[in-house]
Amino acid sequence: MGAVVGTLRTAPQRWLARACAAYVELFRNIPLLVQMFLWFFVLPELLPERLGDAMKQMPPPWSSYVPAVLCLGIYMSVRIAEQVRAGIQSLPRGQSLAGTALGLTLAQTYRHVLLPMTFRIILPPLTSEFMNTIKNSAVALTIGLLELTGRARAMQEFSFQVFEAFAAATLIYLVVNVVVVFGMRRVERSVRVPGYIGATAAVQTGH
Amino acid sequence: MISIRGLSKWYGAFQVLADCSTEVAKGEVVVVCGPSGSGKSTLIKCVNGLEPFEKGEILVDGISVGSPKTDLPKLRSRVGMVFQHFELFPHMTVTQNLTLAQVKVLGRTPAAAHEKAMALLDRVGLRAHADKFPGNLSGGQQQRVAIARALCMDPIAMLFDEPTSALDPEMINEVLDVMVELAQEGMTMMVVTHEMGFARRVAHRVIFMDEGKIVEDAPKEEFFGTPRSERAQQFLAKILHH
Amino acid sequence: MFAGFDFDVIERSLPYLFREGMVFTVTLTALAMTGGIVFGTALAMMRLATSAALAPLVWLAGAYVNLMRALPLVLVIFWFYFLVPWIGGWLIGARQTIQVGAFWSAVITFTMFEAAYYCEIMRAGIQSVSRGQQSAGYALGLNYWRTMGHVVLPQAFRNMLPVLLTQTVILFQDTSLVYVISATDFLGAAAKVANRDHRLVEMYLFAALVYLVVSYVASRYVGRLQARLAVIR
Repeated sequence: MGAVVGTLRTAPQRWLARACAAYVELFRNIPLLVQMFLWFFVLPELLPERLGDAMKQMPPPWSSYVPAVLCLGIYMSVRIAEQVRAGIQSLPRGQSLAGTALGLTLAQTYRHVLLPMTFRIILPPLTSEFMNTIKNSAVALTIGLLELTGRARAMQEFSFQVFEAFAAATLIYLVVNVVVVFGMRRVERSVRVPGYIGATAAVQTGH
Repeated sequence: MISIRGLSKWYGAFQVLADCSTEVAKGEVVVVCGPSGSGKSTLIKCVNGLEPFEKGEILVDGISVGSPKTDLPKLRSRVGMVFQHFELFPHMTVTQNLTLAQVKVLGRTPAAAHEKAMALLDRVGLRAHADKFPGNLSGGQQQRVAIARALCMDPIAMLFDEPTSALDPEMINEVLDVMVELAQEGMTMMVVTHEMGFARRVAHRVIFMDEGKIVEDAPKEEFFGTPRSERAQQFLAKILHH
Repeated sequence: MFAGFDFDVIERSLPYLFREGMVFTVTLTALAMTGGIVFGTALAMMRLATSAALAPLVWLAGAYVNLMRALPLVLVIFWFYFLVPWIGGWLIGARQTIQVGAFWSAVITFTMFEAAYYCEIMRAGIQSVSRGQQSAGYALGLNYWRTMGHVVLPQAFRNMLPVLLTQTVILFQDTSLVYVISATDFLGAAAKVANRDHRLVEMYLFAALVYLVVSYVASRYVGRLQARLAVIR
């Protein structure tokens, strides 16, 4: 989804680009926690009766899991859209001109020329985004989802073993971090295009 | 004034300076020239301790630059340096550039520092630009301000690292004129440069460096007239054709 | 779709929401930003230290930054919420833990957490200032601290101002997570009203709207600032 939206933001049709920009801005400027609440509390109320009731009647853990997945999915897709857009815009303009000159349609130019290079360029920031999503999943504990941090908190409340519970969770996050970083480095190496220095990503803000 | 003995420096395994020795007496003007990569900039940066060195000894006014007991900032405040890329502080006005070190290092009052700054700006002909920012000045103007900035500290010696190499040709002379004046007033100067005209005019001695070694170190008449080493002869032949 | 909702509840609770909630959020953001930038700059300087004697500091700062960047903010909030009273008590030699309210726990948490992100920004900023500037400072006789303070850091700061502000907008949004320690920030206030009056939809939609407007306006401002700074250079 993120790739689609990001690509569409660079489309020559202005209305399309603007609509996608608005979509991105909407989900970037609302805190993740608030979005989580909107998905969990507000959406069932706004949907037509039957759908809303169906959502509310989902048994736990699905009642928390589904909204959390939807929320994180959209949030991440928006951030990926931004990365994809930045990647496409960092390519030299000559690339799309060359595609057109060869007779490719716009869609084909994107598919065969622009997007493959874009994905290689943005692979490092994409790793960051992946890590961010792992961290952001912790926010779902607020809607009752017992993911890693939520479990640690539950253990702490149950057994009063504050430090052990959180220390274990911390260690697990660190291990996952290291595994993901190494994994992505191997992927980067295997798809690297020789001689091409990718656009330097701007300093990584946010989390 | 400046005494360099057996100076050697390595960047990792690569030797940048090999056993360099020379002296600069008070009031002497010494020009250091040579091809790119010969180590001349590195040599001059070792004199005020901006570059560390592994072997040898450098004495400035009797103080050892390499000794860990030396108060380097204090020594540097007495030796002025002018850089190839001017290195004026872009976030400060010209006046602020000149007064910063006077106040912070020499402990002068802001009023005294300001007066001195104005006097020196007058001397290099840039008093009217006192409140401008470096970004609004031309290269030649910036370099003259840089010279004034160094002179504000009342240095006992001045080091110049290719002061005109980054300037457009029409601005080189305005900077060289200031340097010639300075030499004629008796300042001890060590100048890394390609400007042989300057050397012929005011230098007392010329040092030629190649591949980290001092190949020739002679009074200027001797250097330009009858250079002893073949390398120096080749070098002179090439550049004096301008 | 919107039938049966009572949007008046928003109007009725505005004073409470803004005077208690927003003030909390904004104060927390301001304090954490200031503290975070100061601590972050210190961390950046530690990470960039070159002398061999300071090698342990370099490693320590690097480890701290990587640790904070690898953990979810929620977990870090919990850590500090439980840890700070213990450490405080130990520091002043009390036998029990001292009481630290949710606000101060949050201030410490966010300062320490954001410092890791501000550190990376300032590190890039310091490295963006040419080495010649540092040399020029030294050549004039300024020592390391004076050179950093008068020459390098002012330029680093100016160079990174847009990025620093963007990070602050993110910080503003993240303060909403103090919900997990039941603090009354803007979202917390909205939640309290929502639960008291059973008006979840109205309150959460309103909260989302406020965050949206503030963050969007702030990012547009930063964008304009960035364009202006680019022209000046």
